[in-house]
This record gives sequence, structure tokens and C-alpha cells, in this order.
Amino acid sequence: MGAEAEPPGPSQPAARPAGPRRHPGRVAAAITLVGLVLTAGSTLATARIDRTTEQRLLDGQTRQAATVLSTAIMVIELPLQSTLAAQRASAPAGSTAPFEQVMGAQVGAGKMFQTASLWRRQGADLRLVATLGDPPALSPKAASTLTYLRHAFDTKTTTVRLVTVGSRSEVAYAHADPTSGWLVYAEREIPANRRAPVDRDSAFSQIHYAIYLGRHTTADTLSTTDVDPRTLPFHGVRSSQTVPFGDTSLTLTTTPRSRLGSDLSGALPWLLLGGGLLLTLAAARVGQRLTRDRESAEHDAATITTLYQQTETLYDQQRELFVRLQRALLPSANPELPHLEVAAEYAAGARGLDIGGDWFSVIELDGERFGFVVGDVSGRGVDAVAVMARARFTIRAYLTDGDDPVTVLEKCSQQFDILTDGHMTTALVGVGSWRTGEVTLASAGHPPPVLLGDGPPHFVEVTPGRPLGAGVAPYPVSTFTMPAGATLFCFTDGLVERRGEDIDTGLTRLADVLARAAERPVGDLVAHVLATLRHEDAPDDIATLAIRWTGES
Amino acid sequence: MDDFVVETRADGVIVVSGELDIATVDELSAAARAALETTASTLVLDFGGVTFVDSTGLGALVRLRKEAEHRGLGLRLDGVRPEVRRVLDLTGLSEIFPDQAEL
Repeated sequence: MGAEAEPPGPSQPAARPAGPRRHPGRVAAAITLVGLVLTAGSTLATARIDRTTEQRLLDGQTRQAATVLSTAIMVIELPLQSTLAAQRASAPAGSTAPFEQVMGAQVGAGKMFQTASLWRRQGADLRLVATLGDPPALSPKAASTLTYLRHAFDTKTTTVRLVTVGSRSEVAYAHADPTSGWLVYAEREIPANRRAPVDRDSAFSQIHYAIYLGRHTTADTLSTTDVDPRTLPFHGVRSSQTVPFGDTSLTLTTTPRSRLGSDLSGALPWLLLGGGLLLTLAAARVGQRLTRDRESAEHDAATITTLYQQTETLYDQQRELFVRLQRALLPSANPELPHLEVAAEYAAGARGLDIGGDWFSVIELDGERFGFVVGDVSGRGVDAVAVMARARFTIRAYLTDGDDPVTVLEKCSQQFDILTDGHMTTALVGVGSWRTGEVTLASAGHPPPVLLGDGPPHFVEVTPGRPLGAGVAPYPVSTFTMPAGATLFCFTDGLVERRGEDIDTGLTRLADVLARAAERPVGDLVAHVLATLRHEDAPDDIATLAIRWTGES
Repeated sequence: MDDFVVETRADGVIVVSGELDIATVDELSAAARAALETTASTLVLDFGGVTFVDSTGLGALVRLRKEAEHRGLGLRLDGVRPEVRRVLDLTGLSEIFPDQAEL
């Protein structure tokens, strides 16, 4: 584990990544807000454009309707003007024949006028001389009538009044010729409810309208409309045109019956609104999900970091466990055996991360004999330690049963298989007598021990058989007798093996070191050899076992 | 330190050079297992360039030899250098991987 990182406890959560936290709900809300604003803006703008278009179209329709209205007014005024012209030309004296001839065609049920009358001014006197159709709503005797009619002589055009008598509503027309003194009066009925039907093909077919007499658009001045007068004035898109009408004018106000523009233009704002809302919703959802994903990714990263740290911690713990396991499998104290001094040492390899499978063992067998083993499982790791434990206790069991080293190894060679165990084991197995110093040895591919104290240190001659796991094999026996005070030094190859160097060089070096330290107490001897030969960077672990026989004294 | 190289020759011989240890053993094992799929009789490992074999390397050789036997095939080391031969002798493996020069 890197020195820069502070190792946290396994359960300690890793620090969350720095930076502002984005709550998915808040992101969604922000997106929704922006979306709503955009949607509302575009909807309003489109609606405005549509409204402008509608207004333009309505204005056009209204102008068209106003033209139609002007024509209608001319049609109304024409009989009156014709009558005056005829009266003036053919009957300056007083005949009413031209009046009856011209207006007679225009008065009556279903005709243009309900009533028409001819008046004559002579000096200050104004007299009714003829009447056609119904009696006029405007009483000929009333002073207000006379005032109105006199006013007509002051006006060159037709004078128009709205007359309501009882339930009857009439538009009154008076047209006078001050030169001849003739005056034509006519009344045109308007429905009491002011409603007038509209022809489908007329200029008014696409609009609702209300026609007011004069410039003011109040209920009092309302002439005709195609809607319920109570719903007036119009709301929404509306337009108005003023048309000259005698001494006054008609004000035409309109509103569309239905959409004048294309349906798409009108639907567009709603489409935008609906589409915008949907998009906003979708965007909000996507935003929320993306934020969540990001949050989860950050969380995952944090989790992975934590896992790494935990793995490191676990690894450290595991390694410590391995080392403890290894040490637990090695004897903590060698048995006190008569006439024997025993020292042993285990040194873990410098690599340390993978634990090796070296071991040593000394056991008391009976009242005279002792057994000893030094072994080395190839490879590393917990599997190697497991194989080591099995080898160690299997060998020990056979030795305890009284088997000699050769038998022990032969039996073991049937018990181990590298194909299933994954590891191969070398082992040096010996049985000695503390009474005689006689030692029997067998080797399963293990380096021979060094005998000290019998002349110069030398390697005991023992022909190695196959390592355990390499197949069933015979093991040659080696027997010798230790002189009193001699020391048998057993080891694993980690003590002598070095890269780029012949194994014999390492063996010779060991022999030399032992020769110089032969007189030391065994514990001291083992420590010295390890301290001298153990390479600081040596990858392999090392097991050493020294047995000194003091001899029977 | 020599680089470890494993090369399968056209004639099926695997030529190995460098140090065979815990770090390089998998490379040899993979090449040898691939060769065992096609070899008809005996797989030959040319060990002329191998300068060092540790206990893991020895374990791998034994293992490959046993895998070959399971297929009814053989596995042979050729050109083993004296220092490696010495290690095979010390570890009781010269019986399994005999010196070809002595045969």
C-alpha cells in the first residue's frame, strides 16, 4: 500500500469526491423551469403572430363588409334622391305623382321601407302632403318631428335618425331639397332584437358584426347585429370601420365567426405548448436520470476506492495470517532430548508477500531414537503452506508409527501428486539414535545436510529420490554414525541458491561458513549462518536445523 | 540478467533460454501445453539457453512431464547446462529428466 494513502479501516467509508453535489430532483426542477419558460415564450410569440394574422385578416374582411354596407346605404338613399329629383323637375307646383311613382315600388311588406311620406315647405310652414305604406312611427304632429325635418333642409345629404316607438324600431330617413321645398321621409324597420340574418355567401358570412348609428358603439345606437345584443360589445380579435351615412355615419364592428387564418396557424401555439411541455418533461426525466447515473458512477468510484483500500487491508491481514500460520506450523520449542542440542530457525523470504513452504521438525520417537525432517514445498502462497502442513504431519505420522526414512518417503510418494496438489515437496527425513549417534537418512530431492565435527565439514552422501508429488519412486538409504560432539546441519535451498551462480558454489560457501563457526553453540551457529548467508534480497525463505550429538557421557 | 525467451520451432521443439523461475514459469507452461496438443510422441524442450531453474521451475517441469504422460506422450530436456543438470541431480529429478548425452 502506497505511503501517500492513509489506510482506512475496512468499514470506514471512503471520502466522497469533492465538489458540489447535484440532487437529481433539483436538476429536474431546473430543467423543468427552463423548459416551461421556453415553452411559454414560444407559445406566446406564436400566439401573438397568429393573433396578428387574424387581426389582419379580420380588418380586410371588415373593410370588405364596410364597402358592402356603403353600397347598401346608396341603395337606400337612391329612391329618396330620385323622388326629390322627380318632384323638383316634374311637379314643382304640388303634384305627388312622382313621389308615389318612385317610392311606391319601395314601400310595403318585405320592401325596403315600411312607410314613406312627402312633405312640402312653403315659407315657415311644413306640411305633410302624401303618405305611402304604414303610418310612420314618428308622429307627423310631434314638435320633435318638425324640428328634425326642418333640420333636413339645412343638410345636403340624407339625415338619419334611429326611432323607437313602443316595440317598433325604425331607421328614419329625411332628405330635403331647400330650393323646391320638397322633403322625402321614409322609415325602414329594424327588428326589435336588432338581429339580422346573414347570407352565407355575403361579405358578412365569416364575421359577426354589429352596426351602430353614429360613432358611438352603445346599446342605444345599435342598429343591427347578427349576435345576441347582450353579448356586445365584441371581445378578443375585433375590428371596426366607419361608413358615412347621410348626415351621420355607421360604425361597423366585427369579430371573426371562426378562425380566419389557417388552422395550423391557430393550432401552432397549442402544438408548441403541448410539445414544449412534453419535451420539458422528457428533458427533466433525462436530466434526472443523467444526474442519478453520474451520482451512481461517482458512488461506484468511491466504492471501488474503498474496496481497493479494503483489499489492501485484507491483503495485509492475510499476509500476517500466513506468516502466523507458517510459524504456528513450525515447532515453537524443540523437544528436550537426551544428549542432543537442537537449534532451528525459519527466515521468511525478502519478498514476503507470498509465503513459502519451508519447514523443520524434530520429534522423539521412543526411548532411544529421534526423528527429524527438513522440507521445502515448491512455489508460494497459502496452497504451498497447506501442502507443507500435510507433508509435515504425514511424515511425522509415519515416523511415529516406526517407519524408517526410506519407508516414510516411499509411502509419502504415493500420497502426493503435483497435478492435484499444485506443488512439489522436497524433504530430508532422518532417524537417529542418541545412544549410538547412528543416523539413517533419505532424501526426496532435498539438498544433503552438512556434517560438522568429523574432520572438515562435508556433505553427507545421500542419493536423492524424486521430490514428493513427482511420482512414486524408491528412495536410497544413507546411514552414518556421528562422532560425539558432531553437528548435523540441515537446510533448505534458499540458503545456498543464488541466481547466476552454480549451486555448488553456494554449497561450498555454506561449508566454509560452517567450518569457521563449528565450535559455536548450535543456537549461535544457526543464527550466525543465517546472518552471514542470508541475502538481504533473497527471494526464497529458508529453514535451518542443527542437531548436535554430545555423546553418551 | 538474460531475458527469458520461449520459442516453439517449426519442428515442434520448444527452445527455452534465460532463467526459469516463479516469474517466467507460466510462459513455458503455456507454450508446452499448446505444443502437447499437437505433438505425436515426445515433446522436446531445448534447455541449452537455460541458466537457472528455481524450485517453482522444477515443479513446473515435473508437472508438464506428468501431463505428457497422461496423454501417453513423453517430455525430454535437451542440451541441459551443467549447472542446471547439477540442480536436477540434487533434487532427484535426473531420473525423470536423464542426461541425453549419457544415453
